[in-house]
Amino acid sequence: MKTGKILAAGLALLLVLGINVFAGGQQTGGGGQLTLRVLTHRTDRHNDGFLAKLVEPFEKANNCKIVFESYTDYSGNVATMMNTKNYGDVLGIISSIKQEDLSNFFEPLGSYADLNKKYNWADNKMYNNTVYGIAMNGNVSGGITYNKKVWAQAGITTLPKTPEAFLAALQQIKDRVPNVIPLYTNYNANWTIGQWNGLALSVSGNPNYNNELMINKKDIFEPDSAYYKVNKLMYDVYRQPALHELDPMTTDWEGSKPAINNGQIATMVMGSWAVSQFQAEGPNPQDIGYMPAPFNTNGKQYATSAADYNLGVNKNIDAAHKELGKKFVVWFAEESGWAQTEKLVPTLKGAAMPDWLEAFNGVELFTETTAPDALIGVWDAINKESAVNLGGDESGNYQFQIADAAFTGKPFSAVEAIFAAQNARWNATRDANDKLKAYRP
Amino acid sequence: MAQKKLAIRSTEDLVQWSRGYTGQKYLTTVLFLLVPVTLLILFTVIPALNMVSFSFQKRDQFGINPEFVGLANYKQALTDPEVFSPLRNSLYYLAGSFVQLSVALLIATILCSRVQGANFFKGVIFFPYMMNGVAVAIIFRRVFYASDGVINKSQGILNNILELFGGTSQVWLSGTPMLANLCLVFVSIWRYIGFDIIMFIGAIQSISPEIFEAASLDGANGWQRFRYIIFPSIRPIIALQLILSVRGAVSVFEIPYIVTGGRNGTETFVMKTMDTAFKLQKFGLAAAMGIILLIIIIMVTLVQKAFFREEK
Repeated sequence: MKTGKILAAGLALLLVLGINVFAGGQQTGGGGQLTLRVLTHRTDRHNDGFLAKLVEPFEKANNCKIVFESYTDYSGNVATMMNTKNYGDVLGIISSIKQEDLSNFFEPLGSYADLNKKYNWADNKMYNNTVYGIAMNGNVSGGITYNKKVWAQAGITTLPKTPEAFLAALQQIKDRVPNVIPLYTNYNANWTIGQWNGLALSVSGNPNYNNELMINKKDIFEPDSAYYKVNKLMYDVYRQPALHELDPMTTDWEGSKPAINNGQIATMVMGSWAVSQFQAEGPNPQDIGYMPAPFNTNGKQYATSAADYNLGVNKNIDAAHKELGKKFVVWFAEESGWAQTEKLVPTLKGAAMPDWLEAFNGVELFTETTAPDALIGVWDAINKESAVNLGGDESGNYQFQIADAAFTGKPFSAVEAIFAAQNARWNATRDANDKLKAYRP
Repeated sequence: MAQKKLAIRSTEDLVQWSRGYTGQKYLTTVLFLLVPVTLLILFTVIPALNMVSFSFQKRDQFGINPEFVGLANYKQALTDPEVFSPLRNSLYYLAGSFVQLSVALLIATILCSRVQGANFFKGVIFFPYMMNGVAVAIIFRRVFYASDGVINKSQGILNNILELFGGTSQVWLSGTPMLANLCLVFVSIWRYIGFDIIMFIGAIQSISPEIFEAASLDGANGWQRFRYIIFPSIRPIIALQLILSVRGAVSVFEIPYIVTGGRNGTETFVMKTMDTAFKLQKFGLAAAMGIILLIIIIMVTLVQKAFFREEK
């Protein structure tokens, strides 16, 4: 009886204190071996053991142990963890951390001037010329993934360079190749819709496009501007039931990967990061191609390259872990061979580009210019504050409004009304922004 | 009453008091209450109070440099159509809850008369209520599947049944927003009707059998028995269920969130609140939206309280 009571009391106490039990941070393995907790969004490469194998040389060289933790909803989970001090030792910096807040969470890794000599996208997670994260790898965005074999079967020999040619090509696939979905929307997975928006900067062909929109106080969805054109193309595809799957509300992202590999899907609007995943999910990796966005400025096509997650070091850990973490971040970018095996654009300047980027011959690659120092974070602030949230996937986002209008067959004037409403929200927030008001170029 | 009053003047008195009957009673009560009250304060009261203070601030998810903005968040939540318009979708669920209650009442009445295997049916009907909402949502995504023969290889169950009876298959969730909403309302009825039925059965069974006996002697038929005996006797329960349904309709979340993710015009207010907080990082506004929802629910509860007082 008595032991039962004590047990019950102990259990209750555990319940109350239980929260703290899990909060214990770093462990040290046997024999003074440090353990480094690395948080990553690559659940696929974590689960198949690839990452563990990749870091073996590093573990041997530094007598340490690397433990990966991966999350499917990476940014959501990590954002929650970052409300505490316990969010791994090395982690991909999530985009919801504002540039000016980076120093509250991450160790400085060096000055921009130094790191920019060695690495691409060194300014991606930077504030006041201090860099807080080095990219795992980069992506070319402003492209569309497609199945080369299906497109060839439909008799398309040159890739489309205009939206009209793109729509015609999709129709041609529908007409000539049976049992193929010309373009799979993946509409049920929320985030996929933001991929269209990823084309906009490439379409503009201007590395300074967003900054100029902001500084010159232009409408985001001005007719025939980049954001307008991209969303119009999305509307045009989604409005024609023949060009996409029958039931966009029940799409299956994991199922779409083998389907594009096997040639059941001809096209998906995805960034280059998806290419290696599509290649890995079936017997036909050679069929997966990546084409530039079907837009041109005076005949010239453009594409942006940008960093994937930047690895940063938690600033709330002890010095030994910090040092090891920094070493790991540098090693990952320089020596791990991650970008090469994954066929991604490498972070290290001058390293070999992957072979599937061949379709981008003649396409001009550029990296987005960061905002002037006085305006760092302003674009994001306006974007979120106005709730326009370009490329976002929260319910009610303008992209869902456009897609829903398209799927239900509403005329383009409905989309123009959406554009007008978003312009108004954006402009009102922009004009109220203090930093922008004070800015004199 | 018989206990003599003990004046506590020293620690010794205190020890003595704590050994006595009253002392033991209080100590045990306090000790037993300690755990639930601690949990309640830690996980409900403090976060709720925090939320109230957040709702007057402009702050992001991490709470860096929050800024006091007074009632601005409430003003925006109540005037910006993009923020409050999802509340309109609750009307679908509200309409659905009336259907749900009438069907539940019908089934409960039938199950309370002499039916073969009534207990079996009770179990079957109550089962969906015990299922996890996420599982329900995933099941129904399958049910509403429309096949194009390429990726969605086979038809969903609903289309299968339609085709079996010679109908043509439909695109359910990607159809008009109204159809999509009705599909979701159906799922929600399917899930929650079991609870209503069990409540009604409980209420009907508490009606004294003599009344029914007397009624049948007087020659009352089934409808009359329902109209003049069952319905008046279980009116409080019907009112309670109705109010719970209104509450549910205002705060509907998990089923539409998983089945459609709020697309195709199926967005709900709670979904919007979540995304405002975690995707737009407007924590202050989201907190204000949460408080508004709380106020709506409190008002509904007060109406319920008033209703019951009247009954007594």
